[in-house]
Amino acid sequence: MSQIHFTVNGQPCVCEEGTSILQAAKQNGIEIPNLCNDESVRVYGACGLCAVEVLDDGRGKPVPKLLRACSAKAMEGYVVRFDTARVNQSRKIALELLMSDHTGDCRGPCQLNCPAGTDCQGYVKKIAQGDFRGAVEIIKEKIPLPASIGRVCPHPCEQNCRRGLVEAPLSIAFLKAHAADRDLAGDPYRPVPAPRSGKHAAVVGGGPGGLTAAYYLYLKGHDVTVYDAAAKMGGMLRYGIPAYRLPKALLDREIAEIERLGVTMKNNVKLGKDITLEQLRSTYDAVILATGAWSSMNMRCPGEELAGVTGGIQFLHDISSGEGEISDLRGKRVAVCGGGNTAMDACRTAIRCGADAVYVIYRRTRSEMPAEEIEIEESIEEGVTYKFLTNPAEIIGENGRVKQIKLQVMELGEPDASGRRSPVPVEGKFETLDVDLVIMAIGQRLDPAGLDGVALTKKGTIEADAATYLTNLEHVYAVGDATNRGASIAIEAIGEAGRCAAVVDSALRGEMKPYRAPYYSKKNVTAADLADRGKQPRCQMPTRPAAERAKDFAPVNLGLDDETAVREAQRCLECGCHDYAECRLIRYAQQQEIHPERFAGVMHEAEKERRLVCIERDNGKCILCGLCVRICDEVTGKGILGLIGRGFPTAVKPEFHDPETAAVCAQCGKCAEACPTGALKWLK
Amino acid sequence: MSMRIAVGKGSCGIAAGAQKVYDALAPLLSGTEIALGTVGCIGMCWLEPIVDLYENDTLKARLVQVQPEDAQNIADAAKTGDLSAVRGRIITPEDSEFLTKQTRIALRNCGIIDPDSIESARAAGGYSAITHILKDGVTPEAVIACIKVSGLAGRGGAGFPTWFKWNAARQSQGNEKYLICNADEGDPGAFMDRAVIESDPHTLIEGMLIGAYAIGAREAIVYVRAEYPLAIKRLEHAIAEAKEAGFIGKNIMGTDFSCDFRIKAGAGAFVCGEETALIESLQGQRGMPRLKPPFPAQSGYWYKPSNINNVETYANVAWIINNGGEAFAAMGTEDSKGTKVFALTGKIRRGGLVEIPMGMTLRDVIFDIGGGIRGGREFKAVQMGGPSGGCIPAALLDTVIDYKKLAATGAIMGSGGMVVMDEDTCMVSMAKFFLDFTAKESCGKCVHCRIGTKRLQEILTRIVEGKGKEGDIELLEELCNAVRDGALCGLGQTAPNPVLSTLRYFRSEFEAHISEKRCPAHTCTDLLHYEIQADLCKGCTACARKCPVSAISGSVKQPHVIDPAKCIRCGQCIASCKFGAVTVK
Repeated sequence: MSQIHFTVNGQPCVCEEGTSILQAAKQNGIEIPNLCNDESVRVYGACGLCAVEVLDDGRGKPVPKLLRACSAKAMEGYVVRFDTARVNQSRKIALELLMSDHTGDCRGPCQLNCPAGTDCQGYVKKIAQGDFRGAVEIIKEKIPLPASIGRVCPHPCEQNCRRGLVEAPLSIAFLKAHAADRDLAGDPYRPVPAPRSGKHAAVVGGGPGGLTAAYYLYLKGHDVTVYDAAAKMGGMLRYGIPAYRLPKALLDREIAEIERLGVTMKNNVKLGKDITLEQLRSTYDAVILATGAWSSMNMRCPGEELAGVTGGIQFLHDISSGEGEISDLRGKRVAVCGGGNTAMDACRTAIRCGADAVYVIYRRTRSEMPAEEIEIEESIEEGVTYKFLTNPAEIIGENGRVKQIKLQVMELGEPDASGRRSPVPVEGKFETLDVDLVIMAIGQRLDPAGLDGVALTKKGTIEADAATYLTNLEHVYAVGDATNRGASIAIEAIGEAGRCAAVVDSALRGEMKPYRAPYYSKKNVTAADLADRGKQPRCQMPTRPAAERAKDFAPVNLGLDDETAVREAQRCLECGCHDYAECRLIRYAQQQEIHPERFAGVMHEAEKERRLVCIERDNGKCILCGLCVRICDEVTGKGILGLIGRGFPTAVKPEFHDPETAAVCAQCGKCAEACPTGALKWLK
Repeated sequence: MSMRIAVGKGSCGIAAGAQKVYDALAPLLSGTEIALGTVGCIGMCWLEPIVDLYENDTLKARLVQVQPEDAQNIADAAKTGDLSAVRGRIITPEDSEFLTKQTRIALRNCGIIDPDSIESARAAGGYSAITHILKDGVTPEAVIACIKVSGLAGRGGAGFPTWFKWNAARQSQGNEKYLICNADEGDPGAFMDRAVIESDPHTLIEGMLIGAYAIGAREAIVYVRAEYPLAIKRLEHAIAEAKEAGFIGKNIMGTDFSCDFRIKAGAGAFVCGEETALIESLQGQRGMPRLKPPFPAQSGYWYKPSNINNVETYANVAWIINNGGEAFAAMGTEDSKGTKVFALTGKIRRGGLVEIPMGMTLRDVIFDIGGGIRGGREFKAVQMGGPSGGCIPAALLDTVIDYKKLAATGAIMGSGGMVVMDEDTCMVSMAKFFLDFTAKESCGKCVHCRIGTKRLQEILTRIVEGKGKEGDIELLEELCNAVRDGALCGLGQTAPNPVLSTLRYFRSEFEAHISEKRCPAHTCTDLLHYEIQADLCKGCTACARKCPVSAISGSVKQPHVIDPAKCIRCGQCIASCKFGAVTVK
């Protein structure tokens, strides 16, 4: 046999005559994407993913048609490419078509709904196995401050946990906090940073976003200096979150881990005052702005200028830093305006500062409050009084100081754009409260001081590109509360910062790779789908009694014990696809940008649990590559699987429950092994 | 003087009542000198049933649209030779031109000989070519050379040179080879192959025998779709007769050449018309195409060298041997030689089987032979090549029938389906019709065809239902191109053609459906708006009473109105209004 010389994507290849292009490329270390090919069975050619273009057939002419590399033989002088626009388009459409009929349920809803994309299911599994260290390793792929975040995060993961369709969601956030606490108590997990690149980045702002960007950039090999205007790092975690929710010593421990890694931290440096953006730009290879949103919004309510009126963030900052005038509220009456988590932090802090009475003024009802339910509940336990369906109409002063607040009584009208019924004033109906302090916790905004030359949005936030996080200034990036749509929860900033770090890393290494959200095949699961799951109650976080905790800033929550944590983790339904890590379909689908929704239409139903002896099959994941059918026939010689139907409804049969069929099965497991997706699961 | 009466009894003639005519004639002629016989299909669908009167084997009169009641008159005319009683049934000179303007080679005996009689076939020259080859020692190479000279190309659609395939199969190693006839005619509106088998099975058998001799096959298989029971029956009979006469079997005519015949009835999958899927099906497997190469000439039936041609291709072979390759090549164009059979259907005045030399124009076929559009409507387009083909608009009617020229229009020669459409045809619905077909008939193997054609069909469906979205045309084009590039077999690769060609010539119709929610041909019911013109409505209440969903309201002698929310667009109101007050837009 003679040798054939040809190239694939420009790389020289040699093979025996008669070898397929796919095989020959593989022999030369090049993987041409394919789903239906397997060396143990005859060439089939169904998936079309291995399409290649032959730009030169060795005689100076291109081959007009795309060839399937699995069947086309490599020929002398062939110039083969599978990265041309035509091939990419063909593969893209093939993947879009496949995904338009694929119910993969790739990843669980916890991970899909985590703004940082944390593999919640993965670390919960580790905790269920008692492997807290392993859990932290997974968490720290996305979150460098897990003990803190586990305590403060409003956990979108839990809101979407499918256990919620059975009885109650998993307590994912507390599990994370527990694993992180265990890790910090021993010999903490410390990932090994990549070799130094010689590049140096500056991060402005040492809050959750800034620290995250710094942590991952450092791990990727770049030196990082974090600047913060405050005396200590932590940002909102330190100055916005009260200590009874997040003990500051714990935050210190987690920040110390980041510093220990090698990140340089400089406090008491305020942008625009102690250092200019221009200086940073000329000194560093990249600058990441993570300055946060520290100003409270006002309500345009008469009397806001009076002494004794303050913003929610300002109040929390003053208390936690000890810098402000207020620390002792004994004998005082406090009104907190707003219904979000900042309002909760403010009212519960006011209680802890000894206030005589604390009112929460909210214009809708309890069920419309954006704050977490547990916060409302605990605040009521601690003595907060709620004034629902009221809105500040005027703050009445005496000698320049707050004396009373006049409230307009409201009622609920028609639903607004957000779907919540909008409050409308009841004409002429007012109520007046005697107060000494009014806290406006109705939103935050950015203080643009020091952001010289940075383009802002109409909302006054920094305009950052959604895919590159770049501002209008070269190699100046921005993440977190300071950007685009404004203030949000810490995990949002952490998610952005992590993705931004990857972009900055790529830019520092010479070729910027904008962030692209990975494609996942999703599944809509209803309570009916989970009707067969047994109920297991959610763990209860032990808390200190209200009367005791309302007096100090020590933690409300007492923490889980190992046994409770493991039992809680074992409640996980293990959603998502068992084969995600091995699935070739999703791997190829994520390699390029695909939009299967363009081709949305009828789909094969995701039939559950059809068993053939020891195989579980999910028709909704089957891509009809025929590998199981062919292997059962050509390799095992049993031929008990087959294709039935024609056109789109074609499916692999026969009936998996058929006992006669089952009796013939060799139980070799080769079909499941060959399945390129998670359609077949080997149960042994 | 000997008189003979021949009743055309193809499937179509029988469906039109030919058997009843035959049964009415039989008792009237029994005991007379007059022979009553059966012939196949002459190909004039609009004139069925057809009865031919022969005098001394010369056609004396062709009677058309014959009814059983005409039997007595026909019998009398045959007995007396006086045709006056059947004058009204004699074909008009204009209708006769349908045949006289044709050049029939593949169809040369159709409607003329008795398909159930090998003598009838032999009297018309049947088996003379194979007899010449075997008796005169013409070598297989010489046969292939003759076919090469003729320029005969595969009539199934692809138009691949027949001699090349035969030669490749002949050159392939091994002495176990197969010759296969593809009679799995599946294109909607195509019935050329059925007519040949039903009307002249011996011409097919002879063509296959010559092919088997040329490539060195010892077994010939005809793959006929099971929906053609009469064709199967007549072919079985013909094979038995040919075996009896020594043309099939061992050592044919005392030579070394042996060949057995058998029929395989296909189970009705369109994809089995694709040659490699057909082979899989023959082997008892699921009918799914194989990757090519290897081609069947190297690895076909049971992975042995095999040759596959369709019925019409084989039907030309004996004529070519008898008349010489040059005579065949003398007809046609530079690119395409000989004749081609078309099944002319749709909104045509004279529809049926048309065999013409390559090089005629579409206008010649549709207007000259076919007599133009029925009912005085305007010609809009002609669809050629079925689900793999495309439509050709009025502006291109002078296109010459030739493989390359037709391909340049976006349509294809195809196997011979020629569906004529008038101004009342919605081109989007037409494209959807074909995608409904291919999506259903896709074998399900490759992604581009299985899911791609389904998605094309879904997009087209939403467009005709008035749910089309901006960007759908571009999406159709993108997906069409991808399916054409990426599908595994010829059927999948050509499945987008009906969409692409209608988009090419009738894009504005797609746009009207999507942007204006309007069907210019007024056929997409979801896009129709029925209205009563108040000034014309007399308030007679006829429409309101006819409306099956009570969508029409109004008082007596007052103008009525239609509630568009209730209206199901059945059109009953239009039909019931005597004043033309109901309009549809």
